[in-house]
Amino acid sequence: MRLKLISCEVLYREVCWVVARSPNIVDVTFLPKGLHDIGAIKMRARIQATLDAVDVARYEAVLFGYGLCSNGLAGLVAPQIPLVLPRAHDCITLFLGSRQRYLDYFYANPGVYFKTTGWIERGENTDELHQLSLQRQTGLNQRLEDFISRYGEDNGRYLYSVLGQEAPHYQQFTFIEMGVEPDDRYERQVRAEAEQRGWQFEKVQGDLRLLQRLVDGAWDETDFLVVPPGCRVVARYDEGVIAAES
Amino acid sequence: MTDIQALYTAVLEGDAPATRELVRQALQEGVDPQKLLDETLIPAMDEVGRRFETNEYFVPELLVAARAMKGALELIRPLLAVRGAEPAGKVVIGTVRGDLHDIGKNLVAAMLEGGGFEVIDLGVDVPPEKFVAAVREQGAQIVAMSALLTTTMPGMKTVIEALEQNGVRPKVKVMVGGAPVTQRYADEIGADGFSDNASGAVRVARSLVVV
Repeated sequence: MRLKLISCEVLYREVCWVVARSPNIVDVTFLPKGLHDIGAIKMRARIQATLDAVDVARYEAVLFGYGLCSNGLAGLVAPQIPLVLPRAHDCITLFLGSRQRYLDYFYANPGVYFKTTGWIERGENTDELHQLSLQRQTGLNQRLEDFISRYGEDNGRYLYSVLGQEAPHYQQFTFIEMGVEPDDRYERQVRAEAEQRGWQFEKVQGDLRLLQRLVDGAWDETDFLVVPPGCRVVARYDEGVIAAES
Repeated sequence: MTDIQALYTAVLEGDAPATRELVRQALQEGVDPQKLLDETLIPAMDEVGRRFETNEYFVPELLVAARAMKGALELIRPLLAVRGAEPAGKVVIGTVRGDLHDIGKNLVAAMLEGGGFEVIDLGVDVPPEKFVAAVREQGAQIVAMSALLTTTMPGMKTVIEALEQNGVRPKVKVMVGGAPVTQRYADEIGADGFSDNASGAVRVARSLVVV
């Protein structure tokens, strides 16, 4: 089969790995990680535009290297060929290989911030995406000096205490080792950042089998949604995460 | 005489020290605290909400105004309580189990307080039984839940089910919000109200306590 894969760049190394091992011919378009910061409506519009530009005559299906991603993929409409999406809330399911494993880990470890090579080295936004980001638009994640210069000493310090910290309730970095890393440089970097913040550190092994099945064409109903031509992706917020609607 | 217009402006501009000082002055001069609340402070917060919804104000402006309002309420509330005056309503608020993202929830809590509600903030990662206990113990009329992740959103349904199983669902209205939450989802799980922004949440809460 010849397949088209539209993927978030956060999966760059993993996608390259599984595509290299697939019996299929898979053409990949990576989109910026920053799309996650511009809100679901704009994110969906960008992904739909990428999808609309696919030459459907060349491919048998369009695959997505995404989860539901805060509804950023809800509303996508399939062209004349099917879409295939992993049933996942976000990319952590794709890194861990199963949404149940993700949920089990998630609820057993509140306050975890996941790291992978993509979460470390990808995501530098273009200026345009940065300007559009919700963080920028809502005034989040600014420096203390920025808040003070704009809102005065008293209010500036207050705003920084509420909005300035990226993740006030997080306490742990979990590094997911995917087996695609060249050496331990990424792990060391996360360990150092955890130490600097006074957070816990844990390393878990990733699992590329879900992503491999995506590009290999093993799309069983339990783990993948196949959206027929003309149908749309809808969020379900149940076991299946997403569904197709005509 | 206290400059009431200056008080209105102080709230609107999020000037907490000026707001506090002007409220103190007004109360000393014998201005009725209920009147101060209903005719100046709440209208100022309503105007803050309006500006937010028309993109004249953003999250920081909303927060500093709510903070100024909170300072004013700290002076006014005890006086109203002595008279037995009730707040606009009592709201129990929190992020659902597993969700640690609370900026939106804090914003809604601040705006609800600014809108005259008493807010009991249960914080983040709140298990269903804690919502149930708070409703029982605090006699709240509204349960407000937020989630930032679609992973944790189903927790809203779990809380509603827990309220039902414990027989307290008829006593409360449930409102939900958070980036991935939609009106459709709110309807699906049987929530009574939904808002996609903090200012709208006050309107929804008011409509729920009136019903």
